[in-house]
Amino acid sequence: MADPILEGRGLTKRFGGLIAVDGVDIAIERGEICGLIGPNGAGKSTLFRLISGVMRPTAGTVTFNGRPITGRSAHDICVAGVAVTHQIVRPFRDMSVVENVMVGAFFGHRPRPRGRGGARAAAMEELEVCGLADRAESPARSLTLGGHKRLEIARALATRPKVLLLDEVLAGLNPTETDRTLDLVRTVRERGTTIVMVEHNLRAVRGVCSRIVVLVEGRKIVEGDPDAVLTDERVVSAYLGTAAHA
Amino acid sequence: MSYGLALIYGVLKIINLANAGFLMLGAYVTWWLFTAYHVDPLLAPLVIIPVFFLIGVGLERTLVRRVLGSEPIISLLLLFGVWLVLQNLAYVIWTGDTRSIENSFIESTVKLGGLQLSIPRLYVFAMGVLSLIALQLFLTRTYLGRAIRATAQDRDAARLVGVDVDRVMGIAFGIGIALAGFGGSLLSLLFSFTPDFGRVLSLKSFCIVVLGGLDSIVGVAFGSVALAIAEAFGVRYMPASMQDLISFVVLVVVLVALPKGIVGTLRSLRRG
Amino acid sequence: MARNGAFAAIAIAALVAVPFVAPHAEYALDVLFLIFLYGAMATAWNLVGGFAGQVSFGHAAFLGIGAYATAIMTQNGISLWISVPVSALLAGAYSLVIGIPAFRLRGPYFSIATIGIGEATRLIARNWSSLTGGVSGLTLSSAPPLLLQYFAALALLVAAVGLAAWIRASRFGYALAAVRQDTDAAETLGVATTVAKTQALFLSACILGVAGSVYALHYLFVSPDSVFGFSTSIALVIMPIIGGLGTVTGPLIGAVIYTFIREQLAATLANVDLLAFGVLLIAIVVFEPRGILGIADRIRRMRKPPAVTVPDG
Repeated sequence: MADPILEGRGLTKRFGGLIAVDGVDIAIERGEICGLIGPNGAGKSTLFRLISGVMRPTAGTVTFNGRPITGRSAHDICVAGVAVTHQIVRPFRDMSVVENVMVGAFFGHRPRPRGRGGARAAAMEELEVCGLADRAESPARSLTLGGHKRLEIARALATRPKVLLLDEVLAGLNPTETDRTLDLVRTVRERGTTIVMVEHNLRAVRGVCSRIVVLVEGRKIVEGDPDAVLTDERVVSAYLGTAAHA
Repeated sequence: MSYGLALIYGVLKIINLANAGFLMLGAYVTWWLFTAYHVDPLLAPLVIIPVFFLIGVGLERTLVRRVLGSEPIISLLLLFGVWLVLQNLAYVIWTGDTRSIENSFIESTVKLGGLQLSIPRLYVFAMGVLSLIALQLFLTRTYLGRAIRATAQDRDAARLVGVDVDRVMGIAFGIGIALAGFGGSLLSLLFSFTPDFGRVLSLKSFCIVVLGGLDSIVGVAFGSVALAIAEAFGVRYMPASMQDLISFVVLVVVLVALPKGIVGTLRSLRRG
Repeated sequence: MARNGAFAAIAIAALVAVPFVAPHAEYALDVLFLIFLYGAMATAWNLVGGFAGQVSFGHAAFLGIGAYATAIMTQNGISLWISVPVSALLAGAYSLVIGIPAFRLRGPYFSIATIGIGEATRLIARNWSSLTGGVSGLTLSSAPPLLLQYFAALALLVAAVGLAAWIRASRFGYALAAVRQDTDAAETLGVATTVAKTQALFLSACILGVAGSVYALHYLFVSPDSVFGFSTSIALVIMPIIGGLGTVTGPLIGAVIYTFIREQLAATLANVDLLAFGVLLIAIVVFEPRGILGIADRIRRMRKPPAVTVPDG
């Protein structure tokens, strides 16, 4: 990969004695949809937090568009162009759906939108894309889980990211909602946004991702073409291993 | 005194601002039993501990439980309201005059080597250590104590293994309040007090608890010693009226610098 | 919005007219003055405690700094045109000194730290006798005419409420609301949360600094236990909560209720007023955390169920 848009080198995060992420190198290509998979506790969400600035890595560096962003604050990184959705949805509960998205539009991208009207227009665009336009004025807390997940995406999109990190946006969705969300992911990529998605639904990952990275116990064990990766012996045993535990 | 605060925080994950009120109330009840019924102040805790426990359980059932699900700031405000009520109820009942308990025990001293030591101070110190030991034993050796610790660590997991979490939270709150009352009763032997009594002490309690780590009982004992030393040192270099200032400054510095407390910081240093 | 603006204009016009219509109703003017002052203070507190959700129990510090700064400068013959703005800036500067470390703390921890900060500030004022006159405080000799005080307090109130209304509808208001509801989510959407909180605290402190000036010139006496007192901080917490946390008009309603209850009860028995506020606070927190405005909203909904009403406060 000659010119990755986002690159992590030697990323490590320790919590006390526990190593959640252990020396991970990861490079994301411009315009790809990259799947990040692994059993529970593999450090996928932690890796996202390190990249998006929510947590500081114990060691390692992150570069975005060739510039180091390690240790910068989450809001800086968001403005720079890396947005993240939350695995457990975190809407602003007292705001309406469109107001939630307006927060992303107001603060997430440069140049700033013109006033409230500008932010609102930008927010409505993303709601259209995410299929939430008809719920724009509803209180955010009134949405279904599928709606909440799409709201997370709409909010992140409103920051006009170059890279979008999706943390288990499919978890808990029914098949119809899953298909709808996968279509949405493809649409977003069409717009030129690079996507990295943490996902447990391997069938969905295989369908939408052009490349897969596998984390097990904080380490990267395999990466590459979806079909090759998913049949890889080490990946299969890692998954079966956890299945046996459960 | 501070143990109650740590217990309530640990189990219910709420910060009991009403602690100050119950501390003050403990002191007043001791004084009132003494002046009105000539009850020996040393016996007052026998009344205070059970009564305050029941008040605590009742308070948890009627008010605190209703706000446990909402944002932490709501429970903080609720208990702040309870404190306001207690404090000003005390003003209305007992006025703002300074009260103190005086009997022969309070003034007694003992010579130990060349040192003149005040017996009540020794007594309060001993009771503090004793209650620490008792609480630690209770939490580690009894079923209820273990249930409390389990709830403190993970409420849902505790519920899954059959702990009646609601009851445990009520009891933990009750014990916390009883400890505050007990602390107040002990402190009434050492200091004179007004309805505002608990405020400074309670802030010191926060300071101690934060120093020690918010949910560790042993940490709380560490915290008390650390604060006492800081104050004792401070007094040498500045007027006595500034003594409280040290507590507040320590409180703020510790909150900002060591959010995990001394024990927590040591723990993570050891691991890291 | 337009209706609110028209209503506000009428209200301001009526309040401006009061002293001319009833120039001898000194008690009424005095009560109104207090409502203006408390209303401005509660509105200022609400910027941080309500809009940004960072409940401070130490806001008396800013009032105290404003009051002392004005008192000291007035004693030294410095004009109010200079001393009042300087008081505001000093309070604002102090807010930066404490806000920058304190905002590393979240929610309840921040609140507890503010109790410590408030008390530490009071104790410094008590002990720094050469500057503050210690426990006995400072006395000023002559007050500006009551009419001037009345208009000064009204102007401060209008400015504070105007600022709050503007903030609420602005980009900054969205930042504060996002911080209040989920600081981490706000951060990942590009909101510089610590900066937003610090800005809100700075504005709040400046308003309280001016309120301190008005206070000092009205009472002609400032002491550590009055302006820096914990009861002042308590009042600042209670008023917005009674009226409606995080709304524009809530703190005003709270200030009106607070002033009336105090005037009625303080005369009967000491501390009964605070007792009543404690009960009121508990009741509101348990039954309707949105305060009086929340109750009003419920009643409106009960009357006409089909209409979707949003409290725009």
